[in-house]
Amino acid sequence: MQADDLAGLAADERFRLLKTRFRRLALTIVGAFLGWYFLYIALSAFARDFMALPAIGNVNVALLLGVLQFVSTFVLAWRYTRYARRMLDPLSAELRDEAGQRQAERERERRILAERHRIENWTRR
Amino acid sequence: MTIGLFAVFIVITLGVTIWARVTTKGTDDFYAGGRGFSGPQNGLALAGDYMSAASFLGIAGIIALSGYDGFLYSIGFLVAWLLTLLLVELMRNAGRFTMADVLSYRAARRPMVRTAAAVSTVTVSVFYLVAQMVGAGALVGLLLGIHPGETFMGISPEAAKVITILAVGMMMIFYVSYGGMKGTTWVQIIKAVLLMAGTTVLTVLVLGRFGFNPSDMLGAADARSGQPGDFLNPGLRYGKDADGIVGKLDFVSLAVALVLGTAGLPHIVGRFFTVPDARAARTSVNWAIGLVGAFYLMTLALGFGATALVGQEAITAQDPSGNTAALQLAQAVGESVAGPVGGEILLAFIGAVAFATILAVVSGLVLASSTSLAHDFFGHVLMLGKPKESQEVAVARFSAFVIGVFSVFLAVLVRDMNVAFLVALAFAMAASANLPAIVLALFWRRFNSTGVVCGVYGGLLGSIALVALSPVMSGGPRSLLPPPIDFHVFPLENPGLVSIPFAFLCAVAGTLLSREKADPERYSELSLRALTGAGAHAPRTKP
Repeated sequence: MQADDLAGLAADERFRLLKTRFRRLALTIVGAFLGWYFLYIALSAFARDFMALPAIGNVNVALLLGVLQFVSTFVLAWRYTRYARRMLDPLSAELRDEAGQRQAERERERRILAERHRIENWTRR
Repeated sequence: MTIGLFAVFIVITLGVTIWARVTTKGTDDFYAGGRGFSGPQNGLALAGDYMSAASFLGIAGIIALSGYDGFLYSIGFLVAWLLTLLLVELMRNAGRFTMADVLSYRAARRPMVRTAAAVSTVTVSVFYLVAQMVGAGALVGLLLGIHPGETFMGISPEAAKVITILAVGMMMIFYVSYGGMKGTTWVQIIKAVLLMAGTTVLTVLVLGRFGFNPSDMLGAADARSGQPGDFLNPGLRYGKDADGIVGKLDFVSLAVALVLGTAGLPHIVGRFFTVPDARAARTSVNWAIGLVGAFYLMTLALGFGATALVGQEAITAQDPSGNTAALQLAQAVGESVAGPVGGEILLAFIGAVAFATILAVVSGLVLASSTSLAHDFFGHVLMLGKPKESQEVAVARFSAFVIGVFSVFLAVLVRDMNVAFLVALAFAMAASANLPAIVLALFWRRFNSTGVVCGVYGGLLGSIALVALSPVMSGGPRSLLPPPIDFHVFPLENPGLVSIPFAFLCAVAGTLLSREKADPERYSELSLRALTGAGAHAPRTKP
């Protein structure tokens, strides 16, 4: 792919929007799950009396929060996928098609140029 | 009977491997299975690659003996997948077969970067491989019921260990060098289905014994744990209060490595490229999250169920580290449902699943490291990026053989050592050497070749050095070297807490201190390609 094509697309407003959206989403998710995970780890290491409190029957706070880690993982994965489908995929598909078109165009130009070159050489001979 | 069921697994997977051999034509097929796997298929294979015997038998055993603390492993192993989910599409779009494709995309000195990536990939894989194979050797004695001092069909336990390691080694070399990514992927899929089926059956039967009331099961487990009252609370195994702050930091360090290591494991990364596009890659990680999550939730029932139904004394009598808890549980619940015959059948089934699990995981690791050796080192360093495709595939097949033989040799050598720490170390190395380099390569405009190389080697050597200087090696109660030798200066057994920031630091310092200019245009190209998939490697034939 030609560098100037990409430079054009990379400076495109839509690409900047895609990039901002992805970064914001990724940072939110990383912040949420790492924060929640390390909070849980810290509680397990340093707040053991709290973790030992009974919650439901024989299930204590530690086990309950542990199972909630599973739930939060599923929920975050689902939210990410839904957001990506709605807000990222259409933009990236549009840009990808455009990049493909530009490349095809350039390829055609190159072929026409080569053909012209060939004909010129032929007539000269 | 275990052997019979396992033989069926072997025959089926061999058939699949031979079929895969016939349809494997070039590098795209050998390294990436033709990029023709669907999201769900690859999701099953990801889960298959990830759920090792260490997590099936090991975590069930840790939960059975240490209660709540065993559960922490499961949580770290699952939560880590969210990071993978965020990176998978970018890596699928930007790369071709390996992590090094992403790292070297805009690097000025590519051979250096490729070499570093190959060194890291092979090191992490071999450490993980040796741990799995030693585990397999120890397991077979337990599965066949050979106790120390006894013989089984004239084989002593020691000989059985060596024979198992050799047999596992031969099988994995065959799967990989013959079937490539296609064969290995199908092996993973079959194994994942078997493993999920086995654990689901066990879980349902166990919970059924307690009227599907988990609270009752926990109560019964607590009563028979030998540590009633503490069994369900944190602190029995990791970061014991007696060890003070060092023990707790060690525990946090382990947690960091688990959660950051997964996205950098070579056999997981290699799997990102087997699907047609980024969307399928995302789907496959979502499937893996579902499967891995369900599996680790079920290990709770297996572990606590084993304590409740088998009892802590009976478990430690069979194996002090609890690796047989899941098997003993299978026998116990089988018996309670269908008498002694039922117990034998369920035990045989779960035993065969455990064997299949080991075999599949080691194959994935051999594939990842031989891919990296052939594609990164041979193809891009020795042949300057212009190897013949057939030549590169031949080298990959041969590398699988070399790495396989080397790991078998190592595993036989250290078969009697307690190498369980190697799994945690492999995660710590992946988190320190690979993850910082991947993240900076994708998101930091100024990042350059020197930065990649410093980050990768810094993380790799840093984590190995810290473990060598820790109580794992010398001066601790469970050290590899005998008591009088003591040169430990680093107090933590898990290096992640220090080695991961250190690797980031190395990568940043390397970038800023070198005179090499970053290429902003290449970076724009990379980020455009990573985020949109423009110019990404498509499947050879339309799926």
